[in-house]
Amino acid sequence: MREKLANRLKEKRGELGLTQAALAEAVGVTRKTVNTVENGVFVPSTLLALKLAGALGVPVEAIFSISTE
Amino acid sequence: MTTFTIAEQAEQLSRRRARMLPFLAVIYLTQQFVFFAAAPADPERALDYVKIGAWVVLSALLLAALTTKGFWLQRKEVRDMIDDEGTRAHRVAALGWGFVMAILSAIALFFLSILEPISAREAIHVIVSLGIAAAIVRFAMLERRAMRDA
Repeated sequence: MREKLANRLKEKRGELGLTQAALAEAVGVTRKTVNTVENGVFVPSTLLALKLAGALGVPVEAIFSISTE
Repeated sequence: MTTFTIAEQAEQLSRRRARMLPFLAVIYLTQQFVFFAAAPADPERALDYVKIGAWVVLSALLLAALTTKGFWLQRKEVRDMIDDEGTRAHRVAALGWGFVMAILSAIALFFLSILEPISAREAIHVIVSLGIAAAIVRFAMLERRAMRDA
């Protein structure tokens, strides 16, 4: 069984009406990094995950979870 | 005059780098193929020292562009933004590819040297060139993929 990091970043960002660029600027990364996190291509560090959650005003568990395939 | 935020500048420069790097890799490799294809019987001519010198400088520049934040003339804030977590991860993956390509080249040259004598200088030239080119191409591919589907 393979574990992977699932995320609801796009959904939460959409709820707040934020663009990828706006969220990226808020956490100090480029838009492409936010894009790769949203697409599940890139697993962010704990630091970036906490920053993203902070910028969206939700706990980190509300965005990231472990999914099994 | 249009003023761009740090994030916008970082975005533009990252995009430009991702577009430019594959072309640089092709130019770099083409130069090395031309060098080997036109290798004279007497490799100690002054012109060859110039060519080798140019290769050393270009290799060092490409390696520096790959292993540092690059964009040395930009402001620190912009450079820090360009070199974010995603970019650093791409760089690590690209350097891994470069290392594997360099080792594979060395193994191939080892077997080739059984059939035909290869000087240490030639072997180093091939290993360094292929290692750097592989790392650059991989880095550009990862950066371009990250920018897609946004």
